[in-house]
Amino acid sequence: MVKADFVTGLVLIAIGIATVVESLRMPRFEDLNIEPYTVPGLVPGALGAVILLLGAILFLRAARAGGWRLGAGGATRTWSADPGSRRLALSVALCLGYAGLLVGRLPFWLATFGFVLAFVVLFEWPLAGSSGERVRRLLIALVYALAVAAAVTLVFQEVFLVRLP
Amino acid sequence: MADNLAMLGQALWGFMTPDALLHFAWATLLGIVVGALPGLTATLGVALLTTLTFKMAAGDAILILICMYVGAIYGGSRSAILLNIPGTPANAATTLDGFPLARRGEAGRAMGIATTGSFLGTLIGIFFLATIAPILAEFALRFGAFEFFWLAVFGIVISGHLTSLEDPLKGWIAGFLGLLVAMVGQEGIHAYPRFAYGSTDLAGGLGLLPALVGAFGFSEVLMVMQQPAAEVVRMATDRVIPRWQDIARYWRTVVRSGVIGTSMGIIPGVGEDIGAWASYAAARRASRERAQFGRGSVEGLMAAETGNNAAVPGAIIPVLTLAVPGSAPAAVLLAAMFIHGVRPGPLIMLEFPTFISEVVAMLLLASAGILIYGLLLTRPLLYVLAVPRERLMPLIFVLCTIGSFAIASRLFDVYVMLGFGLLGFVLRAMKYPMAPLVLGLVLGDILDKSLRRGLVLSDGGLGPFFTRPISLVLWLTIVITVLLSFETVRQALGRLLMRRPAAETEP
Repeated sequence: MVKADFVTGLVLIAIGIATVVESLRMPRFEDLNIEPYTVPGLVPGALGAVILLLGAILFLRAARAGGWRLGAGGATRTWSADPGSRRLALSVALCLGYAGLLVGRLPFWLATFGFVLAFVVLFEWPLAGSSGERVRRLLIALVYALAVAAAVTLVFQEVFLVRLP
Repeated sequence: MADNLAMLGQALWGFMTPDALLHFAWATLLGIVVGALPGLTATLGVALLTTLTFKMAAGDAILILICMYVGAIYGGSRSAILLNIPGTPANAATTLDGFPLARRGEAGRAMGIATTGSFLGTLIGIFFLATIAPILAEFALRFGAFEFFWLAVFGIVISGHLTSLEDPLKGWIAGFLGLLVAMVGQEGIHAYPRFAYGSTDLAGGLGLLPALVGAFGFSEVLMVMQQPAAEVVRMATDRVIPRWQDIARYWRTVVRSGVIGTSMGIIPGVGEDIGAWASYAAARRASRERAQFGRGSVEGLMAAETGNNAAVPGAIIPVLTLAVPGSAPAAVLLAAMFIHGVRPGPLIMLEFPTFISEVVAMLLLASAGILIYGLLLTRPLLYVLAVPRERLMPLIFVLCTIGSFAIASRLFDVYVMLGFGLLGFVLRAMKYPMAPLVLGLVLGDILDKSLRRGLVLSDGGLGPFFTRPISLVLWLTIVITVLLSFETVRQALGRLLMRRPAAETEP
């Protein structure tokens, strides 16, 4: 946690400085004769300063606790060997692929069908013991993915009258 | 008083239509299911339903959302008792005594206590909502730009402090990041698009609902998939109908927890989680059976479940009277009210005179709903808990995608959902609370406009910010909260207080 705080502190300091700089660059509309206290950059600038301050406190606290020792080799190795992290990486990839790439490019029901099928199959594959069970799980996944794609598309379009991507 | 009761009766009568009763029935049940499923929180449930009901009539939609909210906070007790996993963060304290009771074979009794506690807690909260909200709304009429500025800062500081007691710094960082994110897009005075860089999507701002669906939906999907699989549900065998003596014996705990829960709800951005923990801690301190706490104490379970549900009406009090949310789900409810053309705030009693009693009536219905479902539908709810996460989570994520898209029909909102999901996941892994972030997103606009309007009114002077009576109370509380979070200040204060009685005893 100390290392994470150290890095987060640095990131927050960077965000704080960037926000203050950007706020100073915002227009002040002097030629429009507006009240000088209503310039758009006032509040973002103040918030940037607060983030800068909080980030600096976090950074100093973590640095004092030894967070500057940033060697991450061992941690990365144990992280990638942990089955939880592998499931996490797979979930992130599947979700980003679906909502970030497929949705909007493919018809919604098709994208959803593919996503649900891939999700169920990829995660349940290692759980199955025999090849017979694999086939059974594959069939269940196919039916389930079809059902979800059809039900979601119908319910939202026809019942809730929501536009689908 | 008689007027108010008549208005409440009228509001209740208004919901006695087949349509409204149908909505009430499915929404409360869905809420209980959403709450019971680990990984689905009240915030996500209310946010998803907001996006799906925004074409409905205002009254129906808000009824559905309130039923979902109350149902989810109650439903979370199921998985807390049976799986030792809180269904929503608000039920974390419930696991402490609920799960040991279930392990002893008293799962049914535990569920009965949780149901009664949640029901009574909601009723106590409703009582305070009905009595305090109109008074608070009238008081809030005295709030000007200066007060609203401090109220926004106060909300962030207190929420950051109370939701992250071990490390308030992280709570404040989350809160101020929320405020900063709220700055993206056109500002409210000169319509200048901040941080937009020519993009029309960014100029429109980052939507609150897609952000919440990401932070509470997508990031929760990732959390659930990362954890090892939960153990199988144990079936309840004993009776679920609570024993009268269990309730009668702990009536003091119920009332105390109800009051504590409601107060935690009223404080901006604090909400149900802290309502449960604070009630639990207070019950433990006052109990004669202190040793039983954590080992299956009925009193502890009662305190936790009364406290979190009492916080629901509590969190709605500032929503209605100040347009400041008391908790994360209440923030979504506030956004939903704006979508449906209700403008909560100090003027609510003038602009929408019947709205508070309508909300009270909706809450009464929802509380009756959890009592009925809780005592009747024990077994079907157990089957819901047995759905494997590998099948449930992709469905949830599909709903998150639809929900983010539904409001404005733009893909940009889906990307906002993805971004906030990843950000929320990383922040939570590093122990940053989410509630202050949500509060910051909601309060950013109020803070921005109030500070600049206040400065115009005072012609650039800071005096009124510090000398007007309500402002004075607010900023003093902020300063004291911040100071007390420093270890050295607390120690110095402790020494000061210790020395004085000792000095008095000397001749």
